[in-house]
Amino acid sequence: MTTPISSTPSASPPPPTITVLYFAGASTATGLTTEAVALPSTPLPLAELGALLAARHPHTNFSAVLAQSGWAVDEEMVDDPRAVVLKGGEEVAVICPVSGG
Amino acid sequence: MLQIPEGACVLTHDALCVNEIVQSVGDDRAGATAVFIGTTRNYFQGKVVTRLDYQAYSKLAIKTMADIIRAAHRNANRSLSSHHPEQSSVASLIRTAVYHRLGTVPVGEPSIVIAVSSPHRKEAFAACEFILEEVKQKVQIWKREFYEGEREEDAEWKANR
Repeated sequence: MTTPISSTPSASPPPPTITVLYFAGASTATGLTTEAVALPSTPLPLAELGALLAARHPHTNFSAVLAQSGWAVDEEMVDDPRAVVLKGGEEVAVICPVSGG
Repeated sequence: MLQIPEGACVLTHDALCVNEIVQSVGDDRAGATAVFIGTTRNYFQGKVVTRLDYQAYSKLAIKTMADIIRAAHRNANRSLSSHHPEQSSVASLIRTAVYHRLGTVPVGEPSIVIAVSSPHRKEAFAACEFILEEVKQKVQIWKREFYEGEREEDAEWKANR
């Protein structure tokens, strides 16, 4: 009667996803302010996320926007994207060059 | 809005009231209050600007603003204690407020107001300028300019660097 969830043979767990936030030029290019993105494998180096996102938005200038943007993960700016990996559940923001003031 | 011991950071869609912001840093120990008011300009490279829209990653922007205020207070105390060791127990900045408006800001209205109170003018001026430059360089806020006679979709997202 009791079947632990982990032993259920049919359901493979859903792939880990992240929430991506777009602002300013990134939002204009993608036409989105937020997007749930399934990670193809984990852990995924943050440095590989740009190519994954760009592939979702072909025929836009989004690649050019990404090339001059930085990243924030869980409300912290990332200094070195090669030093950060994504496991799923994170909130990742594309940070275009800022223009406040 | 985020209150920290050194002051306050505010992101708001409402018009900025300069008097209220200046009063919010008022203190009887203050001999000086430096204020910066950034307003939207009506021209850019010969084009007439009709309006500006500001957008923020608010959760992160407000944290970055708080970090900048803390750094300004740290810097001021450090320079005070090196120049006037006898005064090192007196804070050289008293209170700081940084307000940034979001959404549409009509031409001529303030988009940013910074107020810094201090016992002395020099520290207040220096901190006010430091905070403005840091905000423009680091805070996760973006500005889009709309020009007369151009399509809305062509409006340009600006970059400070």
